[in-house]
Amino acid sequence: MNPTDDERWLERAKALLDDSADNLDAATLSRLNRARQAALATRRKRPSRWAWSAALAGAAAAVFAMAIGLHQRVAPSGAPAASLQPADIDVLSSDDDLDLAENLDFYAWLEQQPAGGPSG
Amino acid sequence: MAAEISLMAAFDEGRRDFGTGEESRALDAFLRGVERRALRMAELATRSREEALDLVQDAMFGFVRHYGGHDGAEWPPLFWRVLDSRLNDWHRRQKVRGRWSLRPDDKDADDDPIAAAPDVREPGPLARMADGEASAALDAALRELPLRQRQAFLLRIWEGLDVAATAVAMRCSEGSVKTHLSRALANLRRALEAYR
Repeated sequence: MNPTDDERWLERAKALLDDSADNLDAATLSRLNRARQAALATRRKRPSRWAWSAALAGAAAAVFAMAIGLHQRVAPSGAPAASLQPADIDVLSSDDDLDLAENLDFYAWLEQQPAGGPSG
Repeated sequence: MAAEISLMAAFDEGRRDFGTGEESRALDAFLRGVERRALRMAELATRSREEALDLVQDAMFGFVRHYGGHDGAEWPPLFWRVLDSRLNDWHRRQKVRGRWSLRPDDKDADDDPIAAAPDVREPGPLARMADGEASAALDAALRELPLRQRQAFLLRIWEGLDVAATAVAMRCSEGSVKTHLSRALANLRRALEAYR
């Protein structure tokens, strides 16, 4: 086909179609407007993806918190939980005391010996 | 309790964001920009304004529901894809109900290059007609085209989609788009030249 010829009548066809779309009556335009608003309203009623993500993250955090709480309640009736007492902290924080604790048997034996020292 | 409050706040925030957000305004502007041409396209397919309005509304609902969250640059072919799907469904229903009026088939004798070739000395169809007459002639010629040829013509020539986007809208290959368009142009030209 001759490109110039094609371009000419196709431009005319496009212009005619544009005119037909631009000159729709008011009642039709009103119905189009209502249809568009109704379609957009259905979208507004749905939570966004961000909201769903935040909800899932919140739910996961809640479940985790509940699991921690349950664990702490169950622990005392089960195996004794290892916990540090203040006296343990004192022992661990002093090299001397730690040495005493480690050699407690030796010091007990030494205490029982006569004042003059062990007799041979 | 705190978790419940944060969940509710997230949902409320999500709703508020969409209700007044940029995305909502962009969707509204996009649909406003295509709705008239969509109506004319549906009207040419159904030959009924009422049916066309229903189809366009249905297409708007489907588009917003399925593709509203997509990037705005993807909207044009996706909207026309939804409308094209609705038009195809409508035509299938008409066939089933037996109200389908026979139209030229794609396999009609429009493959003859000699018959389709224009006379280069002529200014082309529509050139010698007044606007009202030309518009009526164009509408009639478009209505007589098979659905796929008409969609290829309207999407490529009127809507200005490129071949790839038209293929997305029509759910076919780019080669099929070119074939449908070539046949549509030949059929339209022949039909419109009869008005001279």
